[in-house]
Amino acid sequence: MKLALTVNGERRDIDVPPNASLLSVLRDDLGLTGTRYGCGRGQCGACYVLADNRAVASCLLTADQAARMEITTVEGLANGADLHPVQQAFVDEDALQCGYCTSGMVISAVALLARDPKPDETSIRDALAGNLCRCGVYGRAIRAIQKAASPA
Amino acid sequence: MRDRREPEKLEQRIRIERDGTVTALSGKIDFGQGLRTAFAQIVADELDVPIERVHVVLGDTDQVPFDFGTFGSHSVAQEAPLLRKAAAFARRQLLDRASAKLGLTEDKLDTAAGAVVAGGKRVPYVELLDSEPLAGTVPDDVSLMPDQRRKYTGRSMPHLEARDIVTGRATFVADIRLPGMARGAMVRPPARGAKLRSLDDTAAKAMPGVIAVVRDGDVVGVVAEREDQARAAAAAVDADWHAIPVEGPTAEVPMRSDANVDEKLRAASVRLTQTYVLPPIASAPIGPSAAVADVRGYGATMYVGTHRPFGVRDQIAKTLGLPEKKVRVLPQITSGTYGRNSAADAAIEAAILSKGSGRPVLLQWTREEEFAWSPSRPEAVLEIAAGLNVDGGIVAWRYDEHTNVHTAAGLDPQVLGVTSGRNAIPPYAEFPARVTLHIEPTRLRTANFRSLAAAENVFAIESFMDELAGVSAQDPLAFRLRHITDKRFRRVVEHVAERSGWGERPGGRRGRGIACTVYHGTYVAQVAEVEVSLSGAVRLVKVWCVVDPGETVNPEGVRNQIEGGIQQSASWALKEELLHRDGRVMNTGWDTYPIATFRDAPESIEVFVEGDESAAPTGVGEPGAVPTAAAIANAVFAASGARLRSVPLTRERVRKAMPG
Repeated sequence: MKLALTVNGERRDIDVPPNASLLSVLRDDLGLTGTRYGCGRGQCGACYVLADNRAVASCLLTADQAARMEITTVEGLANGADLHPVQQAFVDEDALQCGYCTSGMVISAVALLARDPKPDETSIRDALAGNLCRCGVYGRAIRAIQKAASPA
Repeated sequence: MRDRREPEKLEQRIRIERDGTVTALSGKIDFGQGLRTAFAQIVADELDVPIERVHVVLGDTDQVPFDFGTFGSHSVAQEAPLLRKAAAFARRQLLDRASAKLGLTEDKLDTAAGAVVAGGKRVPYVELLDSEPLAGTVPDDVSLMPDQRRKYTGRSMPHLEARDIVTGRATFVADIRLPGMARGAMVRPPARGAKLRSLDDTAAKAMPGVIAVVRDGDVVGVVAEREDQARAAAAAVDADWHAIPVEGPTAEVPMRSDANVDEKLRAASVRLTQTYVLPPIASAPIGPSAAVADVRGYGATMYVGTHRPFGVRDQIAKTLGLPEKKVRVLPQITSGTYGRNSAADAAIEAAILSKGSGRPVLLQWTREEEFAWSPSRPEAVLEIAAGLNVDGGIVAWRYDEHTNVHTAAGLDPQVLGVTSGRNAIPPYAEFPARVTLHIEPTRLRTANFRSLAAAENVFAIESFMDELAGVSAQDPLAFRLRHITDKRFRRVVEHVAERSGWGERPGGRRGRGIACTVYHGTYVAQVAEVEVSLSGAVRLVKVWCVVDPGETVNPEGVRNQIEGGIQQSASWALKEELLHRDGRVMNTGWDTYPIATFRDAPESIEVFVEGDESAAPTGVGEPGAVPTAAAIANAVFAASGARLRSVPLTRERVRKAMPG
């Protein structure tokens, strides 16, 4: 089916099978591979994107549903060479190891700070509870998000 | 284990490129441990170039020297000296060339920021290459850069790839896109080892997007234009399987057999015998296995995540019937897999699908496939008996480790001893001991896992040390210290006690536990603080850790690795258990195999990196994960009086073990 998506501020016209997931369209039709496949069931957070400024699992959304929303992927957060403050804080705090879950964490953090610019630690843990990380950088990610919320 | 390592050739280690960048080559692989960063730090310093200009190539089998693989936290220890010497030799050659070119003796020459300098003159390295690249056997005695001139080594640096990762630009295996690339999906048997009786692919072949249904022996898969099409068609393949139970091997390895252990046990004034139990657990990477294969008539190019690129090259060559030289393995960055990627499952399947369809194929395993078909950490039952003399010192120790095989490296007793028997011998001062490893069969597919058997053995040994201290009314810290003679070991244990304020009692429903070990030359000691609720729920509150990995290339990188090891290990100890029947894994999703989340992360993990700088660097990828389970179990005992000898430390188990 023919669809027009709005991704990272641009209109993208696609022709995909009905019920194609937003995740597969991003990765396979639009070349936006920064959004990762982790479980296909919305249980790990690796595929989170911003849909109308909320962090959602792109594996659970069909492209058809997404056509009615403004979609932002991890590739759309930086402004040219300037990283989004959350991205910069993840680099500065070395809040990553393998990096597979990082895109999803960054998306969740951006969504959180958009609705709550000064979250306390519990709010950060709650907002990112759906982002699994096996390497174990939770503590660093919390620090990075706190730093992005109150830049020195 | 074969060792094909040849004398170190400079051209296989360091290349100065025409654009002034430096390429450093290694057969080791980075899964997030920060090897790429550490290697760049070493080469930048030794060659005297800005680190931004150093490009590290890992594991490309067409470019890098042969390497057996990336295991057991050896990588920095093995590679740092080699890369350092190669880079120093490159700088030496550049100085020689500059000396000839400028007609100046070498005492007038120096290097700075990628150039040879002499007085006011500056000759960039590239201008010294002429037509001749740097080459030659790296001498063992090449002189190294003095410490005070090192700018990067020993300093904290974030991962070099961090910027690419946070912007989504980093290319993981499944992000490779080749012209004409199709998608694969496998048709799975009911259990491993099943043989294919018959196959009807008529319906599958007629489905939209399907390019081929490929069968090679008992391997069956579908290649289609899109991934969902491949999956739908794979589900429509009608395969009839003949299940054949597969069992792991059996073996018995005496690891230490001192005389008269049983007599000394009988004669001891205090004796204690306990059994500790650990279930199998999953590596559970966030990114399931994936591979891209591009198989053509003349050869194959493989984009994979692997610990051992040359091993994969040989396996793919064998699978495809090609000479090894015709297979190029290009390791990509991959989700951390903590040992799981030692097996080249997805790569072999992708190669078969690509050959059978004539197209480059990306094979992405699903989450369910990852849980169901990956090798897992074996279960373990550890029986310990020890005797104390009247002064409370250990006089005899008997240890029986029952587990399944931990690697596919064969049944050589020596190999079994250092893999399935890793850390079975306690790190404490010599006392008469008998340590026996019993490899028992299992239908579960078991293999390499972070720290091999060390986490299991150290859980048992360090829990038991606490119990021994308890029965003889000694402080767990003091009891350990009286059995430690190694100075570096002693230091990390004493320091973790100081840093954590051992002896302070946190009060309330909280308690602290200590555990320590020596893992492949890395000394590590931890104190955990937990809170145990009335009903037995355990919350990990804080962890303190002191680690001595010898010379430290990147202190922040070490902290990150150790913190991660502790966090992952806390998840194993508090939450994880793989359920299986007849070789079939039952919990194949995050809902049925939960791991620690942001809500479970402790309030703090404080890691103190106190490396003995005069000692060679040792690994940090695994040691952090090794003592954590025992530190937590010991803390649960201190908090609640419940001694848990089985993990995971579930609420029900803890409640049941509470006294009164």
